[in-house]
Amino acid sequence: MIIDHPLLGPRDAAEFIYLGDACLIDRPDWQAEDAADAYHDYGYIRDNIAGPMQELWYHEQGDRSWLVVTRDTLTHEITAVELARDVARARGRSK
Amino acid sequence: MPDFTLTAAPPLAGYDRSFGDIALKAPKDLAIVSIALPLGAEDAAKAAIKTAFGIALPEIGMSAVAKDKSTAIMRLAPDQAFVLFPSATPDAEPQIAAKLNGAAYTTDQTDGWCALEISGAGARRALERICPVDLHPDAFAVNAIARTVMEHMGAIVARTGEDTYLLLSASSSAKSFLHAVELSAKNVS
Repeated sequence: MIIDHPLLGPRDAAEFIYLGDACLIDRPDWQAEDAADAYHDYGYIRDNIAGPMQELWYHEQGDRSWLVVTRDTLTHEITAVELARDVARARGRSK
Repeated sequence: MPDFTLTAAPPLAGYDRSFGDIALKAPKDLAIVSIALPLGAEDAAKAAIKTAFGIALPEIGMSAVAKDKSTAIMRLAPDQAFVLFPSATPDAEPQIAAKLNGAAYTTDQTDGWCALEISGAGARRALERICPVDLHPDAFAVNAIARTVMEHMGAIVARTGEDTYLLLSASSSAKSFLHAVELSAKNVS
């Protein structure tokens, strides 16, 4: 499998480490009333997606960047690769 | 004080062999210092780099060589670069820090890496068996760099000439890395 890194171009999947669902970017508000429930779901509840899924991949044997890869879990087809920090900023996280 | 002195010995220093049309040698006294651009002050750091070395910080995946060939800068990531230059003394980081005058973070990397230079008409033939990055001249221009993995060891490959590549890998596994490159050179010559 080849991941087309947005900065470095096509790279072999062996250079990357897979983390999982990119929903980890959406960390709940720890001061909210329902924080305990929200963190339970954030920590343990995942959708078992059959189709396109946004996933976090880490380019460990490369530039050490975190990526959000949109991959079809049925066909392994990759339709989008973005820097995780761009995705997180677009969702209003961090600076 | 005990009466002894320690002599720095780079892991592959002095290595120099040829395999057919492939030459493999370890560069002498290569110092490596990393530069990290501070968050929010990237432009000031880039200007300081330009002033210090006379060359602009290259694009990601490229390197730039100073006019007098004394220094090369490799851009590894949006906010990270390596400066490579010959220095026999263990003061590489203060030399670069003084030039940048506090505009970027600097860390000495010299002891963490081993370097190998592979050159000759067959150099790419030897590398393409162990390097997953496309090294074809159309895809990997002179001065291109890539941080990748060879034989399960993290490595940086830099095309420093038409048929010349500089390879960097961890000094702790320097001999395993040398073995991998050496074996590939033997297999294709």
